[in-house]
Amino acid sequence: MTPVLFAELVAFCAGVLLLTGVLIVWRRELRAIVRLLAVQGVALAVLVAVIGIDAHLPELVAVALLVLVLKGFVLPVVLGRVAGPAGPGRVETPMINTTASLILLALLTTLAYLVSQPLKAAGSGPTAAAVPIGLALVLFGFLVLATRRHAISQLVGFLMLDNGIAAVAFLIAGGVPLVVELGASLDLLLVVLVLQVLTGRIRAEFGDLDLDDLSELRD
Amino acid sequence: MTQVEVGLWAQLVLALATVSVAVLARPALRARLAGVGAAALGVAGAVTGVLALTGGQGRLVIPLALPVDPVVLSPTPLGGFFMVVAGAVGAVAAVYAIGYVHGPSASASSWAALATFLLGMQLVPAAADAVSFLLAWELMAAASTVLVLTEHRERLEVRSAALWYAVMTHLSFLLILLGFAVLAAAGHGTSFAAMSHVDPASASTSLAFVLLVLGFATKAGIVPMHVWLPRAHPAAPSHVSAVMSAAMVKMGVYGVLLVVLQLLPAGRPWWGLVLLAFGTVSAVYGILQASVATDLKRLLAYSTTENVGLMFLAIGAGVLLRSYGVVGPAEVAAGTALLLVASHAAFKTTLFLGAGSVLHATGLRDLDRLGGLGKRMPTTAATFGVGALGAAALPITCGFVAEWALLQSLIHGARPEDRLVAVVMPVAVAVVALTAGLALMTFVKAYGIAFLARPRGPEAGTAHEGPATMRVALVVSAVAVVGLGLVPGIMATAVVRAVGLGGIDVFGVAGLGLPGVGAALDPVALTGLALLVAIPVLVVTWRMARRRPSRPVDLAWGGGGVRVSPRMQYTATSYAEPLSRVFDDALRPERDLEITHAGESRYLVERVQFRQQLEDVVEVRAYVPAVRLVDRVGLAARRLQNGSIHRYLAYSFVALIAVLIVVSL
Repeated sequence: MTPVLFAELVAFCAGVLLLTGVLIVWRRELRAIVRLLAVQGVALAVLVAVIGIDAHLPELVAVALLVLVLKGFVLPVVLGRVAGPAGPGRVETPMINTTASLILLALLTTLAYLVSQPLKAAGSGPTAAAVPIGLALVLFGFLVLATRRHAISQLVGFLMLDNGIAAVAFLIAGGVPLVVELGASLDLLLVVLVLQVLTGRIRAEFGDLDLDDLSELRD
Repeated sequence: MTQVEVGLWAQLVLALATVSVAVLARPALRARLAGVGAAALGVAGAVTGVLALTGGQGRLVIPLALPVDPVVLSPTPLGGFFMVVAGAVGAVAAVYAIGYVHGPSASASSWAALATFLLGMQLVPAAADAVSFLLAWELMAAASTVLVLTEHRERLEVRSAALWYAVMTHLSFLLILLGFAVLAAAGHGTSFAAMSHVDPASASTSLAFVLLVLGFATKAGIVPMHVWLPRAHPAAPSHVSAVMSAAMVKMGVYGVLLVVLQLLPAGRPWWGLVLLAFGTVSAVYGILQASVATDLKRLLAYSTTENVGLMFLAIGAGVLLRSYGVVGPAEVAAGTALLLVASHAAFKTTLFLGAGSVLHATGLRDLDRLGGLGKRMPTTAATFGVGALGAAALPITCGFVAEWALLQSLIHGARPEDRLVAVVMPVAVAVVALTAGLALMTFVKAYGIAFLARPRGPEAGTAHEGPATMRVALVVSAVAVVGLGLVPGIMATAVVRAVGLGGIDVFGVAGLGLPGVGAALDPVALTGLALLVAIPVLVVTWRMARRRPSRPVDLAWGGGGVRVSPRMQYTATSYAEPLSRVFDDALRPERDLEITHAGESRYLVERVQFRQQLEDVVEVRAYVPAVRLVDRVGLAARRLQNGSIHRYLAYSFVALIAVLIVVSL
């Protein structure tokens, strides 16, 4: 792989990651959000594969396959099943409006670029240049966690946060050892499965997945 | 393995055995088995203490799972003295409890907590480093909190009392922790040996001293941190109050002695003044509140504050005099603190156990409704009387010996050449004299109102003596009061070894000599002399009385004979009325006078209603506003915690962003 092609591929994947992150915040329909998350997962897998092929690491390519299966297919499918068919009740009503969210995203991206200066200095080349995107994804995920009411959105925020962490890890250090990556992926899968069961129970009990209604259970 | 180590192991094993027995045994057998176990635990503590006092060495290292240094137990002679006190009091109280416990205090958790409490208390003076000390201290504090809570279902005030106790005891823990932390940082190590190498003149040492003294004073019930005492003692079962008052508060005194004798022996003069000031205020305030209290156990609790105040006064005088080079009286004063500890342990055990018997028989603590118990409960009356003599510091009891030694050291410590000492010592003497006088009135009231005259209520009229174990424990503790008073030589030997200073020795066969100030007291000889003088007088009086027609005494303390109604007798409140008038400004009683006039007339009165309530001034003026402030802060802080998951997530989000910004700067 030529250096130019490598740089362009890495930049493309990072761009897709950032774009899907912004779109997840922008869209309100839950099914669309889950689809965007699947696209993000695929982009992440491609990024890992590109890094692996460039560095001639078959191990990393295997990890890329794992990421593709888990984040590109399994988790979105599970989430989609929880979200159910499209309908009027499947729309997120965020705590802050879309415009304010998008402005916040811009600020967070700026922040991510500002604070990742030392990280970029640690490496060089196209991967180091993409590190701020991973950090921005972490911040986007946190924003979604803090401002969305729906349980599915919360899960999406959590997964986006994890995508960001994984992206930063692959971009800086060429990934973590396979065993750790396997463990982390398994954890993620378990979290989502448990939450799937939990949201099913919540819906059965309360007929809705709005977390604000759950706070009434206190006292 | 040395004897001391065997003793320490025995305590650990016995405590474990007692806890298991308390949990596993059938309810019918529980009191007997667990009581015997707890008593054995106390005896083991006392024996280990004696071994440590007589020069026994031993070092027990118990590794912990926690990432801290192992627990090191290695009692010094000073610690040994306090182990003897704690163990002996614990053993007597455990025997008493076998007959006394009923209802919730007979439960498995209560017995298990008692064993844990005794173990913690006996290990505090054995600790050889700050971490072990704090662990044992916390064990003692937590177990005693459980014991105070014992009757929380029956009486609502117990919960509030336990809350006060838990807060104050943890405040004490926190202060001690901070004090030890400062010392450990300065001395580069948590062992007491490392801490004793710090520079006594440095500011951090003074800070550590202040923190440690405040912490220990809180546990010891020194004014103004005494507020938990008059609440916790009436709330706890009587055998627990006895142990708490006679042994646990002494651990505060042990802590102060540890600081001024072992950790920071080269004290500054103002340290002595601080201790003296604490002691003086507590002694006077404590006995004043006791003299007007009508709740028997509350009275005893305030009397504890007074006695601990005297101990602090003695320690303070010792530090002050030593720093001014007045060696003899300084050594006597330091030793006197231990005499006071031993004597207070003896008579306060007797008094609390006696109060427990009264409570057991009548269900009452209110003196105004008691009376006439002397005839119905002769053992309790006699032993409580002995204890009252001790608390009033009258001769042939240990209280007298201790206060005599204290006055000797204070009087001989006054040196005209040092202006400060010349002023402080006479003031201290006056304070001790005032407290002795007030203590006399207080205990005349406690004994006279409860045990003499006629019953003031139906409960007192049907009272009966408790089971044999209760009476045995009462008699043992009363014998200790008189025994230590008659042969104070035993205490003198122990004190000399514990303090490691001169100034006190055995005079004659078993009397108390104070070569530091050139005084001596031999109670046996004095008693013999007094009897020699008294016998002829008694004989003559008896002969003269036989010649005259006999005067039947129908009712002692009846105030002139059998009245129409028992309610017309003197009560505790009326007996204390002159005192509460004299000390009106200090006590600030709340009086409420309500006069209802008959019809329209201004001159004819239909009804006069008078109410008087005595509250703790310190509590009302200092603690109530403080608690209100904390409440307000707490309510404001609750707004941060509204239970919304989004708010909590937003907190972490903002925190993350803040950290990122700080890192990138």
